[in-house]
Amino acid sequence: MKRYLPVMFISPALSLLFVFIFLPILFTIFLSFVNWNMIEPNIKFVGLKNYINLITEKHFWVAAYNSLLYAIIAIVLDLILPYITAYAITRVKSSWHSLFKILIFLPTTLSLAVGSIIFLWLYNPVLGPFSYFLKEIGYKTPIGFLTDYHLVIYSLSIIVGWKLFGYNVIILLSSLLNVPVDQINSAKIDGATPWQIFIHIIIPQTSPTILYAFFMTIVLNIQYIFVPIQILTNGGPDYASTNLVYLIYQYGFNFFRIGMSAACSIVTLIIFIIFMILLFKFIDKKVYYES
Amino acid sequence: MKVKINIWHLFLSTLIIILILPVLWMILSSIKQEADFYTVKLFPSIHSLTFSNYTTVAEKIPLARYLLNTLFVAISITIAKLITSLLAAYGFARFNFKYRDFIFMMCIFTIFVPIQITMIPNYLLIAKIHWLNTFPGIIVPQLADAMGIFLLRQTIKSVPASIFDSALVDGANHIQILLKVLLPIIKPAFIALGALFFINAWNEYYWPFLIISDKSMYTMPLALQLFTSQEGGTQWGIMMATATITALPTIIIYAFFQKYIISGFIKSNIKG
Repeated sequence: MKRYLPVMFISPALSLLFVFIFLPILFTIFLSFVNWNMIEPNIKFVGLKNYINLITEKHFWVAAYNSLLYAIIAIVLDLILPYITAYAITRVKSSWHSLFKILIFLPTTLSLAVGSIIFLWLYNPVLGPFSYFLKEIGYKTPIGFLTDYHLVIYSLSIIVGWKLFGYNVIILLSSLLNVPVDQINSAKIDGATPWQIFIHIIIPQTSPTILYAFFMTIVLNIQYIFVPIQILTNGGPDYASTNLVYLIYQYGFNFFRIGMSAACSIVTLIIFIIFMILLFKFIDKKVYYES
Repeated sequence: MKVKINIWHLFLSTLIIILILPVLWMILSSIKQEADFYTVKLFPSIHSLTFSNYTTVAEKIPLARYLLNTLFVAISITIAKLITSLLAAYGFARFNFKYRDFIFMMCIFTIFVPIQITMIPNYLLIAKIHWLNTFPGIIVPQLADAMGIFLLRQTIKSVPASIFDSALVDGANHIQILLKVLLPIIKPAFIALGALFFINAWNEYYWPFLIISDKSMYTMPLALQLFTSQEGGTQWGIMMATATITALPTIIIYAFFQKYIISGFIKSNIKG
């Protein structure tokens, strides 16, 4: 009896995760080797054909490139800027902290569907407030925030950035507040400038949390961006805003090419896992070395 | 002591205005008359503000039904996730068993799997057991949460082991310990997690979007789309009113629990 006690505690959660995450991954691997349109009963085994088709299709490379661009923008909007913001909070009197934190975290509590609708209006090329201000300062309107091939990724990234920003500020702030004060003070006595303290003490001390936030930002961003893509652009114009995760959806539920959709899922998952392994290796070497 | 207004204050204030402005804009736009959206003025005169958009929303869509759908889904998911997470976190934190660390790692792995990767098999499963357009279809796949397990395990591990041991010596069983000893100690973290689960479940767009096509089963984030991309053109005021109604419950929950939510994050102090 005693041996089965821990099993009883972990089994409700574990069986749910098994049924709704692990089994589906295995089933997706299977589907990536077949040709099927979800409706017909006959499923044809095609070997690696889906994978070959996938990497020879232009849309896949457009989506892969877009995913990379989304990730880079997310690092700036949702990691670097929140880090500076969290640092800024530590530099103001602590009586202000809670008010700043409350307001900065607020957008994180709103639905991305709500965010998308708000920004649909803000981005309106003729009547929207952004166009209004840009026209006032002399830009040529209308500006197609959501219809311009080169602009659309930035426009959508801002929506997700707006939502994720506060979450990362709070996480990064918690690690910044844990940097030992006496280390900073003794550096000050030794005549270090605030910039030197920031580079040589604060960043290394908070590097584990920075890496955690780096990883979460990329993982959450690629999923979150799905919602504004779906509501506002459907991946357009001409695949300009499609990322790998949205391509999975398009293959599956727009074109009913289940095999291709599954192959795209597996490729995305493998990229994620490689990325994860590299990151953990990096953490092992760099972070433990420094701390 | 003099109050120092430095560059950091300026930076933070500007940033907060930028972050909050879209929310204020949504609320302001929801009480604007439709005609005012098409004038060049950004701010309408105070006399032309109106609540008519809200009454129009209530007339055009079954608002009460959608709110109740969302509330039911969000509450069910929140309670179930709290129970499954607490049990699993206790199991991982308080027991030694074979393959424990491996199983825990696999659990954490699920945090990093984008939901879209498991989407087609889950959709097929839900369709196969005739759960499309039903509450169980929305709720059941979302009843466990690895992030919740992770955060609660951290919290439970910070509780001194002697507290559990002495309760065991006194003859309490594990369920009694969970409810009477542990829960009071970890209450702040538990409340914070519950509030976050509720907010996320209320906001969930993706999974309901996939499996709900019957309009009477819509949740609020889905209902938002009823006013976009329709033949008749977009009615901004009505759309903003719907967005405000969707956002309000999460803002209220956040306002009530912000102390728990933010300090819950700070205490969990996740390290890479």
